[in-house]
Amino acid sequence: MERFELARPKTLTEAIELLSGEWDESGGRSASPLAGGQDLLTVLKEGLETPERLVQLRGVEGLGGIEVGERKELVIGSMVTVAEVGASVEVQRRARVLAEAADGVGSPQIRNLATVGGNLCQRPRCWYYRHSDAPCLKKGGYECFAYGGRNKYNAILGGGPSYIVHPSDLAPALVMLEASVVLHSSQGQRKLPLSEMYVLPADGDVTRETVLAADEVIGRVLVPPLASGWRTSYEKARERGSFDFALSAVALGVRVEGDRIAELRLVLGSVAPVPWRCRGAEALAVGRRNDAETWAAVAEAALEGAEPLSENGYKVPLTKGLIEKAMRRLALEDA
Amino acid sequence: MSRVVQDGGPPGPAPSGKRWKKSSKDVDGHPVDHWILVSLEEDGPVWPERDRLQLLNADIQRVDGEAKVTGAARYSHDVRLEGMLYAAVLTSPMPRGNYEVDLDAARAVEGVEVVLDIAGGTVRYLGQVVAAVAGITPDHARDGLRALALEMEPEDWAVSPEQSKAENAPEVGRRGNRRAGRSRGKAEDVAAALEGCAAVVEAEYREPVQHHVCLETHGVVVDYNGGEEATVYASTQGTFTVGGDAAEILGLPESNVTAIVKHMGGGFGSKFGLDIPGDIACRLAKEARRPVHLLLDRQAEFSMVGNRSGGWQRVKAGCDAEGKLIGMQAEIETYGGLGRGSNPGLPYIYEVEEASSMKASVMTNTDSSRAMRAPGHPQASFAMESIVDELAYAVGVDPLEMRKRNLSDPAYQRQLDRVAAEIGWEEHEHKSVPGTGDGWTATGIGFGVATWGGGGRPSCEVEVRISSDGSVVVEVGTQDLGTGVRTYVTAIVAEEFGLPMSAVVARIGSSRFGSANASGGSVTTACLAPSVKAAAWGARRAFLERLGQALGVDSDQLSFVGGEVVDAGEAGNRRSWKDACALLPAEGLTERGKWKHQLAGNGVHGAQAAKVRVDLKTGAVEVLEMVGMQDCGLPLNHLALRSQLNGGMITALGYALLEERVVDAELGLLLNANMEDYKIPGSMEIPLMKAIVDTGDERQVVIGMAEPAVIPGAAAIANAVFNACGARVRELPITPDKVLAALGRV
Repeated sequence: MERFELARPKTLTEAIELLSGEWDESGGRSASPLAGGQDLLTVLKEGLETPERLVQLRGVEGLGGIEVGERKELVIGSMVTVAEVGASVEVQRRARVLAEAADGVGSPQIRNLATVGGNLCQRPRCWYYRHSDAPCLKKGGYECFAYGGRNKYNAILGGGPSYIVHPSDLAPALVMLEASVVLHSSQGQRKLPLSEMYVLPADGDVTRETVLAADEVIGRVLVPPLASGWRTSYEKARERGSFDFALSAVALGVRVEGDRIAELRLVLGSVAPVPWRCRGAEALAVGRRNDAETWAAVAEAALEGAEPLSENGYKVPLTKGLIEKAMRRLALEDA
Repeated sequence: MSRVVQDGGPPGPAPSGKRWKKSSKDVDGHPVDHWILVSLEEDGPVWPERDRLQLLNADIQRVDGEAKVTGAARYSHDVRLEGMLYAAVLTSPMPRGNYEVDLDAARAVEGVEVVLDIAGGTVRYLGQVVAAVAGITPDHARDGLRALALEMEPEDWAVSPEQSKAENAPEVGRRGNRRAGRSRGKAEDVAAALEGCAAVVEAEYREPVQHHVCLETHGVVVDYNGGEEATVYASTQGTFTVGGDAAEILGLPESNVTAIVKHMGGGFGSKFGLDIPGDIACRLAKEARRPVHLLLDRQAEFSMVGNRSGGWQRVKAGCDAEGKLIGMQAEIETYGGLGRGSNPGLPYIYEVEEASSMKASVMTNTDSSRAMRAPGHPQASFAMESIVDELAYAVGVDPLEMRKRNLSDPAYQRQLDRVAAEIGWEEHEHKSVPGTGDGWTATGIGFGVATWGGGGRPSCEVEVRISSDGSVVVEVGTQDLGTGVRTYVTAIVAEEFGLPMSAVVARIGSSRFGSANASGGSVTTACLAPSVKAAAWGARRAFLERLGQALGVDSDQLSFVGGEVVDAGEAGNRRSWKDACALLPAEGLTERGKWKHQLAGNGVHGAQAAKVRVDLKTGAVEVLEMVGMQDCGLPLNHLALRSQLNGGMITALGYALLEERVVDAELGLLLNANMEDYKIPGSMEIPLMKAIVDTGDERQVVIGMAEPAVIPGAAAIANAVFNACGARVRELPITPDKVLAALGRV
């Protein structure tokens, strides 16, 4: 790890000042915000980014707490830990999918330190991106080595020219909940739907996963309330239950009227460079019976257009299976 | 007591601790055979009958358990010395090529004390050490490594077996990339035998490269200040395998170098000798004339200190309608990097009428494989147990019955029956056809068996000392890899004197103590325990003799019972251990013991069963339950034995479901050299486990059993997956992608 200066601001304004700078060609910057450090420190140890300054956000006022706002929305500070999200009764009651996603993150040790903001902004897990001797596209190189290489964990949807997947568990759950983020930078404050914070490699700077400016940090996450009748679920497939990133994940919300599906929201994790919302499948579900035939049809529609690479074709049936499992689970709970 | 021999057999059962011995006596000028009762110990020490043991053959808490869980136990990693430098190594990012490093730039870095070029400009394998730096802190050493500004000129490499076998492949080894190994049997005889079979199965099986993943990485701390002596704190499986090479590098006589192995964090076959990090540490220490700490970081650990070789096996086998194995033809390749890799050959444990096998090693530009807990056996077991299973289903024979029909040893019959009973095979619904589940999940059971030697040999010299204040010390240079050596060394001595564990102190892990073998091949217990027993036995006899003299009684009527010396004579006196020891001279009593053949045996058996649940939608395999049974002659410490079995089953579970070295052959990169991407089982993966020590083995000798515990579990899990849902996965690890493919869903 290269040496860096550790700045410990007390206010958001100070933090943003300390972060001032631009993105460089390899997706790095001269100053990086340090939240829980669970991803950033590994990035630094591998030498993937070499910021001269870390700006510690722990200690900055106003970034903590889980509250219920005036319009019954959940307001979650970006420095709230993943463990706190999982343990929050308010989150469990109002947005079970988010609590379940939080419980699926890393290991207990990681969840105790990792934060909501850090989880949403973490860098990809692709073997090549993480390997300091592989000068890949994500690090300012010329090639996505996963495309023709070992790509078991890479994207089947939305890939190209980079085939990373976004590894966050919280992001698909929050996108399904149609959450927004409040962002702060030297340009002021803005509110953005979380889905719009993420950008496909083909649509933005391939070295980054978000539209955040170099001096921009997440202040709060706003989760609007679900109307009564909604049921939500997070299903995560992984090789190792104790501690693993997802092979594929499903954030699902369903509202059933009688024996029919009235509304459905479906967002996939770890199959695309961004949390992958399945609008086609959502539309197809509406008005159908909530039965195995519909679950299979929704799963089929969700994976339409999937383009597996040489070693990740399994993600297609696996993700379909996860969708069916999630829908079955909610149906059984309702029954 | 004696009786004239009349019918050739002894007159009846011998009383405890005695045996009948035939003796010839001259009666009226004619030799007449008599049976006489002699002490079992007449020819030296023997293990007491099991029901007479007070400490051994029971559960014994490990004596260093508290020190380990509280962190008080000091491992080599933890050694901190005055003026010590921390070293780090730079490993080659390419499998083959020439390199340049800027040594002067590294030397110029503040806090860097010594910089060495290690490989002389050329590397032959991925992860080979090219340079080493010693600095005043680990961070300074790493600064030095970065300053080396490694530049490489690659040469063609072969890091995958495919690359190695390709036409025009670069030469990896000096004698060709594919080296033929041992062949057995005649293929044409097998072909003829297979013609008459009721079923013939032909299949290919693949095993990944598995890493040892020792919690404590490889390395040493060398305490050297330029003087006449040095001490090497080594994380090693052989206290006495370190000093010689260290002395040579340091330019000291071997007798002036001490190796210390107080506690070590796992070796599993990968830690013998001074090894690469030890060699480098000594060179750095010699140049710096300061102590050097060099224990590898995890990336280097995954790259350069060996692994379990990968493999490929093509097997064609047939059986009759009852499942009797008739013929088997096997082609085996082992993938051991620059090493040969290992596989004991097929049909492994099973009895097959006609069998042939051909073996070859395919060399690659990766680090040499090393011994890893039961080298080659899990690989052979996976292929053999799989094809036995495939044949069982092909002829519709219960897979448990199939195994019993092809293994004549009664130990296997006994163990297979027991593990089957424990895991619920009898109640299991689908035995000779796979299940289908409920469309969402399916549950299945599978089996496997294991074999090993585990015998001992003369190699240890153990000293037992009793002081006049009553303290007892047992001393031997041996190392405890975490298996519980310190505990049984203590227990054997305590048992001999009828003392509690707390009354005996075991001092091990120093080359200044009596010699001991390195711990490989599960031989430690069978080498060491008899030597400890012999020393304790000798000390007891010597002590009793002195007590007899001191007390003026026949020493035969004295014994040590429950912390006292009991006089069985008319007086019926009892004397406390402390009081008895007070009768010793000031120097106390010292006895040395060496290995006695009658205390050790050889040859063990094991069987394991696994129950799994397969998620038919996602291909995820969850192991619900594992049962392992193992014999080992006389069990010294049941708790430690069950721990060995549990550990073996967990390692097998990792091999079955998770573990695999991943390389990009094109780029020549090791992709998962860390404990996040190289997945070993964690707490959530651990199934309900039942470890059973096979007390049906009545041999009164000790035998090692650590290695076979790791052998059959992976095959049992693979077979359970098939039994659950009909997915036959012939390549480890059995990850969701492979299960979904085997279910025809990809």
